[in-house]
Amino acid sequence: MKALLRQDWFGLAALAAAAIAAITAIRPDFLSPFNVFVLLGTVSLALVIALGQMVVIAIGQMNLALGAIGGVVAVAFAGMMQVWSIPVPLAVAGGLLIGAACGLATGVLTARAGLSAFVVTLAALSMFKGINLGITKAQPFYGVAAGVKAFGAGSVAGPVPWVLVPAVLVAVAVAVLLARLPLGRQILAVGGNSHAAELSGIGIARATIAAHVISGLLAAVAGMLAVARLAIGQPTIGDDWLIPSFAAPVIGGAALAGGYVSVTGTAFGVLIVALITQALVLFAVDPYYVQLLLGLLILGAVGLNRLREVRRERAA
Amino acid sequence: MAGTEPSTIGARESRLIGVLMSADVGLLILIVAFFAAFWMFAPGFNSPFNLFGLSRFTAINIVIGLSMMVVIVTGGLDLSVGAMGVTAVMLAGWLMEVGGLPVPFAVAGGVALGAGLGALNGLVIVRTGVHSFIVTLATMSIYFGAMIVVTHAESFRNLPADFSTLAKLRWFGFVSPTLLVAGGAALGLFVLYRFTALGRRMLAAGANPRAAEMSGVPVRRVVTLCHMLGGALAALAGMLLAMRTGAAIPSMAGNLGQDWLLPAFLGPVLGGTALTGGRVSVLGTVLGATLVTVLTSGLLLLQVGEFWVQFFLGALLLGAVLLERARILLLGARRLVA
Repeated sequence: MKALLRQDWFGLAALAAAAIAAITAIRPDFLSPFNVFVLLGTVSLALVIALGQMVVIAIGQMNLALGAIGGVVAVAFAGMMQVWSIPVPLAVAGGLLIGAACGLATGVLTARAGLSAFVVTLAALSMFKGINLGITKAQPFYGVAAGVKAFGAGSVAGPVPWVLVPAVLVAVAVAVLLARLPLGRQILAVGGNSHAAELSGIGIARATIAAHVISGLLAAVAGMLAVARLAIGQPTIGDDWLIPSFAAPVIGGAALAGGYVSVTGTAFGVLIVALITQALVLFAVDPYYVQLLLGLLILGAVGLNRLREVRRERAA
Repeated sequence: MAGTEPSTIGARESRLIGVLMSADVGLLILIVAFFAAFWMFAPGFNSPFNLFGLSRFTAINIVIGLSMMVVIVTGGLDLSVGAMGVTAVMLAGWLMEVGGLPVPFAVAGGVALGAGLGALNGLVIVRTGVHSFIVTLATMSIYFGAMIVVTHAESFRNLPADFSTLAKLRWFGFVSPTLLVAGGAALGLFVLYRFTALGRRMLAAGANPRAAEMSGVPVRRVVTLCHMLGGALAALAGMLLAMRTGAAIPSMAGNLGQDWLLPAFLGPVLGGTALTGGRVSVLGTVLGATLVTVLTSGLLLLQVGEFWVQFFLGALLLGAVLLERARILLLGARRLVA
């Protein structure tokens, strides 16, 4: 119990539990199987998006092109199935490849050419979005394979949607990578103190590129999950990922300077954002408030993280 | 004695190379070259109608670029320029249509709101010590969200006719006087950075905040002022855009005002303003924004397609930072050799 209390995501878990209890007290139908199914579907997609941003935050950078990569992969994935009738597993592989290639491009430009990740990913955002719209002429691909649609709409058992499966797998993989594998430790070391990392023989460029490639891969997974859930290849997929992708990791306690991120914290961050959004819908509040609240949440969370940092510095 | 002659030649030579390699001259050459090429090959480019549109669009892009430039000076950035610009325009639109205020007062009100929102960004940044990226990412969502909640995403389309008079006027048949507004803003900033103590302090605070603080510059207040200035300029850019459309529309800068981000960074980056802060080129930003506008207009007339133009502008930003990087490496190598 004490160990549980000491976890820094404990407060978030308590907050999420309190929110669920409060919403259910007012609207008992909130925990109906259908509602939970919808909520978990939203959480699945948002979790992959948030982890895609979190990996780059871990090295102290940002990926503004995350949504644009997701969008390009989404239309490519749907397009491959519609135009060339490529079987689903191959289309998935193709989508992952495109995502990794996009991440490789931004990673190499950041690490090898020594450019700021902000400018590189801002330029990449515009280029990937341009490719997306140039190919699709802003029209969606409707020929999504029946299996993909069934996957996006179906449930494993009861209120557990199929889309939760890849999301959980991704979360576990990222957690293992960052906590156990050398590459993950190197990514965190570079984010924490790149100079010290270099002195201890860690290849900064390699870790930076790896973080961007993983981010691209996760953007690809999220893009394809979005296609499965929408049942069409919408060119607008990814347009509204930017703010939520930062909100969840920051709420989860990630240090924006790099070096510290939390998969569990990010997952709770995603859950809290989803709960708030759902509550607004349930209570028929103007949906536009979501935008306002997301911004306030980010500001509140970074303020809180900063406060903790200052206290730690003073204590030290 | 013998050594002095080669060194003076070397100095003159390197000064000449410095001028020729400066971003301003390169941009000017590119602008003239593309202008000439489009004039000859892009059908309709040289029509008074298109040139008039081009001059109005240039004015808007220049002010958008300047609004980011004044913040980049501090070594930070402002993702919320588009959100502030639209929010300011919506207030001005409301003041005119619902409040019945005369145009100058409504515009002043909008610009004041922009300045206030910018100052708020600055205050949060200096008070919390959180990086401007994440603060303005949050405020971009807050400002835009609040604006949409208040306006219910409805436009103000019945603005007084005088509001868009400035944008409808034509000098010599094809020059928009809105360029004068952009030019005035640029001139004001040029004077600020070149001749005033405040401008110098802004540059010092951006170049090395700690050193500036030690030499008596109130860094926090100066950084807040930079953000306030950025907010006011973003609002001004919004006014120019709304004058062109003749209406105040919540979606005029895209969702969250994101559509302004690329032009906002392209101008200063092409113009050689250092993203690390402390170095600024007002003329470069003006030229950079002009080049972007000429390219956009010409490529659209060449039927390249709106979407590929977006791709191209992204590539241009990437090319510009790569070139700047190469230039620094090259100059560094030359200095090492000499």
